[in-house]
Amino acid sequence: MTEEDSSAKMSEDVEQYLKLNPPCSSSSSSSAVAFANKSGTFKSSSPPCPEHVLENVLENVLQFLTSRCDRNAVSLVCKSWYRVEAQTRFEVFIGNCYSLSPARLTHRFKGLRSIVLKGKPRFADFNLMPPNWGAQFAPWVAATAKAYPWLEKVHLKRMFVTDDDLALLAESFPGFKELTLVCCEGFGTSGIAVIANKCRQLKVLDLVESEVTDDEVDWISCFPEGKSHLESLSFDCVESPINFNALEGLVVRSPFLKKLRTNRFVSLEELHRLMVRAPQLTSLGTGSFSPDNAPQGEQLPDYAAAFLACKSIVCLSGFREFRPEYLLAISPVCANLTSLNFSYANISPHMLMPIIRNCHNIRVFWALDSIRDEGLQAVAATCKELRELRIFPFDPREDSEGPVSGVGLQAISEGCRKLESILYFCQRMTNEAVTAMSENCPQLTVFRLCIMGRHRPDHVTGKPMDDGFGAIVKNCKKLTRLAVSGLLTDEAFSYIGEYGKLIRTLSVAFAGNSDKALRYVLEGCPKLQKLEIRDSPFGDAGLRSGMHRYCNMRFVWLSSCVLSLGGCRDVAQALPNVVVEVFGSDGDDDDDTVTGDYVETLYLYRSLDGPRKDAPKFVTIL
Amino acid sequence: MEGNREMGPKLLDLIPQGRKWYQEDRNNTDQEKKLELRLGPPGGDEEDHSAIKKKNTETRNIKKESEDNSFHCFNGNHFSSSNKTTYVPHISHKRTAPGPVVGWPPVRSFRKNLASTSSSKLGNESSLHGGQINKNDDGDKQVEPKKEGMFVKINMDGVPIGRKVDLNAYNSYEQLSFAVDKLFRALLAAQRETSGGEGEEKPIIGLLDGKGEFTLTYEDNEGDKMLVGDVPWQMFVSSVKRLRVIKSSEISSALTFGCSKQEKMKH
Repeated sequence: MTEEDSSAKMSEDVEQYLKLNPPCSSSSSSSAVAFANKSGTFKSSSPPCPEHVLENVLENVLQFLTSRCDRNAVSLVCKSWYRVEAQTRFEVFIGNCYSLSPARLTHRFKGLRSIVLKGKPRFADFNLMPPNWGAQFAPWVAATAKAYPWLEKVHLKRMFVTDDDLALLAESFPGFKELTLVCCEGFGTSGIAVIANKCRQLKVLDLVESEVTDDEVDWISCFPEGKSHLESLSFDCVESPINFNALEGLVVRSPFLKKLRTNRFVSLEELHRLMVRAPQLTSLGTGSFSPDNAPQGEQLPDYAAAFLACKSIVCLSGFREFRPEYLLAISPVCANLTSLNFSYANISPHMLMPIIRNCHNIRVFWALDSIRDEGLQAVAATCKELRELRIFPFDPREDSEGPVSGVGLQAISEGCRKLESILYFCQRMTNEAVTAMSENCPQLTVFRLCIMGRHRPDHVTGKPMDDGFGAIVKNCKKLTRLAVSGLLTDEAFSYIGEYGKLIRTLSVAFAGNSDKALRYVLEGCPKLQKLEIRDSPFGDAGLRSGMHRYCNMRFVWLSSCVLSLGGCRDVAQALPNVVVEVFGSDGDDDDDTVTGDYVETLYLYRSLDGPRKDAPKFVTIL
Repeated sequence: MEGNREMGPKLLDLIPQGRKWYQEDRNNTDQEKKLELRLGPPGGDEEDHSAIKKKNTETRNIKKESEDNSFHCFNGNHFSSSNKTTYVPHISHKRTAPGPVVGWPPVRSFRKNLASTSSSKLGNESSLHGGQINKNDDGDKQVEPKKEGMFVKINMDGVPIGRKVDLNAYNSYEQLSFAVDKLFRALLAAQRETSGGEGEEKPIIGLLDGKGEFTLTYEDNEGDKMLVGDVPWQMFVSSVKRLRVIKSSEISSALTFGCSKQEKMKH
């Protein structure tokens, strides 16, 4: 190449570079300089001034900063750093969609590639929030469609997303790669079909625990022909049948597919066909795990062989309608498994034993309490690498049998010393078992115990569960998330407030005696961000005790407590940067139910842009 | 414990310093009943609650769940600014199954009713021996409807606070009637007491046959108000939108307002 050719090519490259990385006005010369430093032959028209050099250096350094906490800190150093950080931030995390307006986002950040957006608070999952409360994705997709044509990734949790929103997303972002919808609702299979069809670079389509309306659209067939870029496809929450042949065809032409989570409309035979097509899978959601028809002699597929062939599987879930006689087919992958989710399968201890005894590498285990204390003992005996355990109730009623107890909890604590996170539903518990766990598992960061019978004391001693939870906060020094239950007095909360130094999320239900409990928490727990409380005797005095810190918290939820409108109004008036919403549990204005001064639900959160304009009628913003 | 002594000093003195919140003594006298398993501090809250209107005080005193061991009148303890002995409900010792509470246990809806969707029941060993299969013989997979809690509002004449019932928890009108009695019996008694009448609890019976003091009515999805009990249970569950317990003496006026179907059928 002659010098002329190479400089012509260089110009094209520069043009291309600048197109892909549109510089902001203040740093245009620094980008050019950065590029110049790389190429060596590009001649800039004027020497860069010191300020731009500094910003240039900063830009290059900031590329390595990915943690949002670090980036937030950087942005506070000075205006220049704020600017550069804003230019170089590609991923943004918004923990509460109402804490700022979309316009503020697009004004500050110009080059976003990835957005994580969370909407409703967690208690909305349990019908404590009337429908149509808000958290619509619509204004966000509209704003980002204009501002970030290069957006690649959207991750939403508890947002209301419509088919139109999905269509706009699919049309607006030609390079779109990853869509994850967790606990979302408002859309259907037609919206998914548009995504499948129009997002030609799609790598990830994960629908997790979302409500997807069945519009009777064959969305799987909407993926375009030709090789797909799909790496992850999760649709286990989609409660409608799918076109299996289309799915099989899609899997065949997706050589990069690593994660496939099918729904319960995929039978065992169909699963087998998929596994044969995709032996490279690392994460498999097995669908129903139940055959379509009764087995027919020689025609019975060799399921174990299929699992044997999928040497890379490390994560297994599904088993939505499993048939126990087929469970052992997964044996060949057990030794490699790091994650096993049996939480939809009514598995007895007897069924679990032969499986779990080979799962030495398991780090994440979800199951139903049908495995009983004996099953937990088996887990404790084998799964020495366990980091996360979740035991869900097969029969989630308050007076159900309760096959797991402190016995299982204690066994786990003794066997699984590396445990970091536990969610445990049970009917009865002892302080002793909880204390044992606090002593045996010092790595715990998440401790969520749900004793389903309300106000149940220690079933052996009859005492409140104060001491057990007290031990947890005292001994588990890394604890960031705590959910309490059972009979608890104010004393438990004094422990939490005093020792819960790193707690960011606290969930309370049917607990405490008085406002003192709430005060202990709000005057303690220095890192508290998310506080959700229901059905506890906390009133205005308790609420007032947190006024000094609501601006620094993501949200506070108090429902069915003893708050008055006056008390909530006091908070609203004192804290202009905090939005205070009050509403009832019903979606309609009801004069029959006396509200008067009584506040059924209080939801407050900090916001940079004041009260939202989309609040429905049943929400009062004080 | 200092604090306002608006609650009768009697109660304050009787509560032991140790502040045990659970009862040990199973033989209760009336006095002791007032001390059992209360969730409020003995002297009421330390802060001043006089700002809360008295009307709401009384209202809040009543709000509780009668058969539940738990709620007790913590509300009353906080809001009481009256000199009358605050209504403190007696706590039954028996663990009567409490009515279902919205959103408790905190399990997401798709995790509920696994008992009906999974292919084996709780005695899961039996499934090894060819237990129940959810599917039809012709191999069609049935889409099991998710049996979520079906909560409808229920109001009762003379009781300011509305409640909610989970209709999926019952299989017959009798069960529903029984639940209504449990829900409102104490509330009604409390309401009568505060309006100067007798506070004694009387069972609410005869809801379905017109013979009791109260009658159960409902509003269906077309807005029509009707007597409960005329149509098959499942039909009722699928069309009911809300319930109302009215005084039997006011049946005809309650139903004609809003042009009830019964009225329409008469003509």
